[in-house]
Amino acid sequence: MVLRLVYPLATLALFALLALTLAVAIGSVPITPTELWAVVRGAGEPLHQTLIFELRAPRALAAFAVGGLLAIAGALMQVLLRNPLADPYVLGLSGGAAVGALSAMVAGLGVALVSGAAFAGALFSTLLVFGLAHGTGSWTPTRLLLTGVVVAAGWGAVITFMLAVSPSEQLPGMLYWLMGDLAYARSPWLALAVLGAAVVAAAPLGRSLNVLARGALQAQALGVAVRPLEWGVYLAASLLTAVAVTTAGSIGFVGLVVPHMLRLVLGNDQRLILPASALAGGTLLVLADIVARTAIAPEQLPVGVITAMLGVPLFLYLLHRSR
Amino acid sequence: MTQSTQAITELLGAFRRYRHRSGSGRPGSGCVSLGRRGSLTTMSILLCCSVGFATGTSPSHAASRCVEDDTGAEICLSEPAQRVVALSPGVTELLFAAGGGDRVVAAVSHADYPAQAEKLPRVGSYNRIDIEAVLAQRPDLVVGWLSGNSPSQLERLERLGLTVYRSEQRELADIATTLERLGTLLDSEREAEETAESLRARLAELEARYAASEPVEVFYQVWADPIITVNDTQIISEAIRLCGGRNLFGELERLTPRLDVESILAADPQAIVAGGMGEASEEWLEQWRKYPDLSAVKNDHLFFVPPSKIQRPTPRMLDGIEILCDQLEEVR
Repeated sequence: MVLRLVYPLATLALFALLALTLAVAIGSVPITPTELWAVVRGAGEPLHQTLIFELRAPRALAAFAVGGLLAIAGALMQVLLRNPLADPYVLGLSGGAAVGALSAMVAGLGVALVSGAAFAGALFSTLLVFGLAHGTGSWTPTRLLLTGVVVAAGWGAVITFMLAVSPSEQLPGMLYWLMGDLAYARSPWLALAVLGAAVVAAAPLGRSLNVLARGALQAQALGVAVRPLEWGVYLAASLLTAVAVTTAGSIGFVGLVVPHMLRLVLGNDQRLILPASALAGGTLLVLADIVARTAIAPEQLPVGVITAMLGVPLFLYLLHRSR
Repeated sequence: MTQSTQAITELLGAFRRYRHRSGSGRPGSGCVSLGRRGSLTTMSILLCCSVGFATGTSPSHAASRCVEDDTGAEICLSEPAQRVVALSPGVTELLFAAGGGDRVVAAVSHADYPAQAEKLPRVGSYNRIDIEAVLAQRPDLVVGWLSGNSPSQLERLERLGLTVYRSEQRELADIATTLERLGTLLDSEREAEETAESLRARLAELEARYAASEPVEVFYQVWADPIITVNDTQIISEAIRLCGGRNLFGELERLTPRLDVESILAADPQAIVAGGMGEASEEWLEQWRKYPDLSAVKNDHLFFVPPSKIQRPTPRMLDGIEILCDQLEEVR
């Protein structure tokens, strides 16, 4: 049993390390492996030190943390809603965050305040959906899903309105935020800490989540406290998504597809899927960001474009093979 | 949301050609240093500021040239700038016009004037700068564009220890002011001063010539789909005023209002002036010929001014304004 968990996780961790190393080594300024090694040892050119310690490493770590957070949040949402189409944004959280962030941009506030406003918007949206779905006391995952989807549609309308009336010179920044962009990532540490905490906290819950994935009735019959577990999962997934969105805007696709890919390969055991999602989601986003930074350098692409371009063929291949 | 993104992509296209102002305030950065390493930034800022405030105590580092940038922040260089990175096509032109063209080491895409600028290495596009590529140029001065560059990217360049001059021209007279300031930083004061003075003289001459002219009602079209114009706080509107024209939509609240065809038919401008997709394309004007009752169409007062000569706040804008003034003179 332990080995069954350790092998896949060790492999994924190895891939993650490789991806992070690549992310530090590759950029629009070429740095040879020898020069890279010199920088790692504390020597090397000042320019290379700046590039690696101030730009590439923080950005790669932020990408890893955001990818991991989104993938875990997606896996949790899929279990909670028992719906394979669920992703971290299905309940309108990214819409709330986007409205917060775009309002701050329109008001001309600085980067830190844009992040703060995004976080506030995400939390507000979470509480709104929570309150509305909870309203009459009786609720089901379907009710939660419907509430979330409708709230998301409402946010979508507000976003469209804001884009339509905003000064055209602010549009590029707003669009890049909506597409997801790691250039906004300031410091990776908060997101990494939340990611670590989430993986540790999810470990003892894996068994209950496995039961929950089979349906609320079975879970109840087997002695799982379903209601608290479900709300706990919802709030945890929302918090993880809020941190991710606050760090890098609403990056799509990772949260939807990474858990599915892992299930196709590893089977549907949450004890394995949750930590594996953290590693695989992080790795996918780090790789996507390398491409986003260098594909048409010195022009820069938003990373959200690349996550889908890398992820779609990979996912379709896995799906095809699994038949 | 996908639909909205799609719809907005068109506007983004519009924006790309039409890079113009408004912009938001930014926290004034005080004295900024030349330190290259991030780790040294704090120290260098302290050093630079202490030099600024206590001149004479460390003569070897005396900040010999300090100017205010266009946001009022103080920019200090201890030596004239030798390696300058220009973060917009307009700023590139201004640097060449200020006599520092030989020291511009990199620019962004679409920096196509003067011809030497086309050969410069690129560091991304004005709205998404490749920060690595900027650092790799080891610039001692970065000239950014306040309302076009991403504020967070400019801030990041400063945090990495670079000196960033934020350029912004909201009035025609500001072009001359920026030229002089850049001239000081580039140690080409004389050339910058000459260009600035000739620019002011041309402005004064145009103003004198058209001040008493019969006003012409103008609709200036920045973009065709959607139809975008400018209000009176925009620099193009000032150009129209200078030529004795009146911007029919100048009262609107937004800097770049989007209009429908009906509002132009209702306003019935005497002249329609368009920028364009490219430097020679006039196809936007043809669309107005569908409405033969418009005065501008009836009298064939549909005009085209090459966008790079009127939508970039540089000395070349005077050429564009002279074209515009001649066109409005035809209407009278």
